Amino acid sequence: MRSKKTLLALGFFLILGVMSLVGSEVKASSPQLNITPEMKEKFPIKPHHEKLAFKCTDCHEGQGDEPENFKAIEDKGCLSCHKTKQYLADRLKFMDALHTNPHNSIHDGPKLYCDECHYEHKKSDNMCLSCHSNDVKLWMRATP
Amino acid sequence: MSKETMSRRDALKIGALGTAGLAMLGATNAMAAAPTEKDVKFNEEYDVIVIGSGFAGLAAAAKAAERGYKVLILEKMGRVGGNSAINGGAFAVPMNRDQKAFGIEDSKALFVKDALKAGLGINHVEMLELIADRAQETFDFAVKCGAKFQTGKKPTWFGGHSVPRTIVTENMSGSGIIQPMAAFVEKLSGCKMVTRAKMDDFVMSADGTTVVGVTARINYRFDNKLHNDDIENKSGEKKVYKAKKGVVLASGGFSMDKDFRMLQDPRMKPDMDATNHEGATAGALLKAFQIGALPVHISWIQEGPWASPDERGFGVAPLLTQQGLFVLGIAVDIRNGKRFMNEMADRKTRADAEYVVLREDPKAYPVAIGTYNTFEEQIYAAVEKGLASGVMKKFDTIDTLAANYKIPADALKETIKKYNETAKAGEVDEFKKQTLKDVKGKEAIEMKGPFYAIRLVPKPHHTMGGLKINTKAQVISANTNKPIPGLFAAGEVTGGTHGASRLGSCAIADCLVCGMVAGENI
Ligand SMILES: Cc1cc2nc3c(=O)[nH]c(=O)nc-3n(C[C@H](O)[C@H](O)[C@H](O)COP(=O)(O)OP(=O)(O)OC[C@H]3O[C@@H](n4cnc5c(N)ncnc54)[C@H](O)[C@@H]3O)c2cc1C
Repeated sequence: MRSKKTLLALGFFLILGVMSLVGSEVKASSPQLNITPEMKEKFPIKPHHEKLAFKCTDCHEGQGDEPENFKAIEDKGCLSCHKTKQYLADRLKFMDALHTNPHNSIHDGPKLYCDECHYEHKKSDNMCLSCHSNDVKLWMRATP
Repeated sequence: MSKETMSRRDALKIGALGTAGLAMLGATNAMAAAPTEKDVKFNEEYDVIVIGSGFAGLAAAAKAAERGYKVLILEKMGRVGGNSAINGGAFAVPMNRDQKAFGIEDSKALFVKDALKAGLGINHVEMLELIADRAQETFDFAVKCGAKFQTGKKPTWFGGHSVPRTIVTENMSGSGIIQPMAAFVEKLSGCKMVTRAKMDDFVMSADGTTVVGVTARINYRFDNKLHNDDIENKSGEKKVYKAKKGVVLASGGFSMDKDFRMLQDPRMKPDMDATNHEGATAGALLKAFQIGALPVHISWIQEGPWASPDERGFGVAPLLTQQGLFVLGIAVDIRNGKRFMNEMADRKTRADAEYVVLREDPKAYPVAIGTYNTFEEQIYAAVEKGLASGVMKKFDTIDTLAANYKIPADALKETIKKYNETAKAGEVDEFKKQTLKDVKGKEAIEMKGPFYAIRLVPKPHHTMGGLKINTKAQVISANTNKPIPGLFAAGEVTGGTHGASRLGSCAIADCLVCGMVAGENI
């Protein structure tokens, strides 16, 4: 996953406006894969990932170059950047006081699969809503 | 068309198919029945396979693994614990230590009597006795696994119980038992849990009599967008597991199965809200029927009379009514401002009473009303939650409350006056409500206010029916009236124990006791 980390770093530069740096570097480190507008529409990615100029194969590493055959990257894929579930739970520790930390809920603790709620190519889903339809909007913003 | 002509025609058809056709027919039939060990190649081998990771499954796995068995737990959802993880953590323990400490007299006979009354007498008494005999021991086993309970205080009084006998987990959720128990089980050597792994079929011995394993799919993704996940979902990769000692089916109830629950009660339309986790479907239960398990009481589906139409699922209302408004407050028919039930009766009695109103006018949700004195200390935090989310509303006067719900104000005031007077005098309540003894000489509803209110609607909550098991948790066969070798079951997937309606907080006791028994006997 080194290339993704490099990309992340590059992404931050991008945000800082160091545009010229990026283009050539990314091309050099990513496998050949043309992202057509149709593909972009079919597999949109989240704005926060888009900002970092992610390419398909940054996440779908070692899965060939045929997007239709790509598989879900599972927790391991997400956590290669997002560290650990405990780390994510700790980041929202302030929510523990009211028992509303979605990454450390009363019911599941820091154990849920990432894609129980977070989806990359479609709208995410907040699982808490299935029983706490009224409370969730008071507890947290929309699931990124 | 008469039977005779049908069968003659079928015979003709089969004749026309010839031998090749017959062989094909044989293959299709085999697909409709459970596979036998001759049809499969086992990928992995265990002593015990447990289907489901709720109270029943984890208790069975923990006991079996403690005995040194190699155990595999298959859980189809991504989450561990099914209904058990979202449960309210209330555990009825007849004759428990806190009852003794607070001078509450309880007995096995009283517990059985209470359960039979709620269950309309059709309960399987030997199962109730098993629960009464072993609930305290099971409670201690849960504590040994790391569960934490609010002990050292007066037990909670649930509707339909003639004495307080319920102990609640520290975090007021079944997860207070599930999380430590899952950790306990996973630490035991030889015990493995796989989530997103769905059991599809039982694998039978060559002679078709004995359960010797299961087929399953790993990397299964339950899909809540499907109408019937059990039938339509094709995700995952197939695995076949051998179970040398047997299989424990602990797959829970079916309150979320849109097709199967509507077959049992056509009034339960597919869009009807329920309190359960999304995976509470009948698929695994039906597979047990397929291999001959006896069904009991399938159409008795309990609806929670303490739920609210103003939120989805279980939500916060059940807590605020059961341990709040219902205890000292009242529920009224908004059309006339009158009470219509004992707010602390068993669930079926109350749901039926609410339906008398709702079948006349589906929008006339009854309203529960009470004052702050009705809330048990454990739920003070939930009171704020209920108000913030709007499920519960707070009013300074009866008039504003009545106006909000369009209840005739004078009639409502009259109802409260009469209710308070009877309670204050220590007389028998109009609906024989049993929880007013402590307010003798006081106001049950404090007229200084403020007044709290929640709208009510029954929601499917617990399926009493299921497989017939004996007191060793062996599943009984319809073909032999004897246990099906290699098949055990425990928890909500079983039937008979609670009869027509389960008393609140008795499911944890049932699931953990029978799960433990299955783990001991397998
Ligand atoms: C919101 C709520 C609150 C409750 N509160 C209380 C309470 O306070 N006290 C009380 O006593 N009772 C309560 N109950 C009832 C009680 O929680 C349930 O009856 C109990 O949890 C059932 O336990 P179980 O182990 O039988 O099933 P579950 O806990 O539902 O577990 C069954 C598991 O099996 C899995 N499964 C099903 N089919 C398959 C398959 N084919 N392959 C693999 N896995 C499968 C399911 O996904 C599920 O996770 C409550 C119920 C609900 C819904």
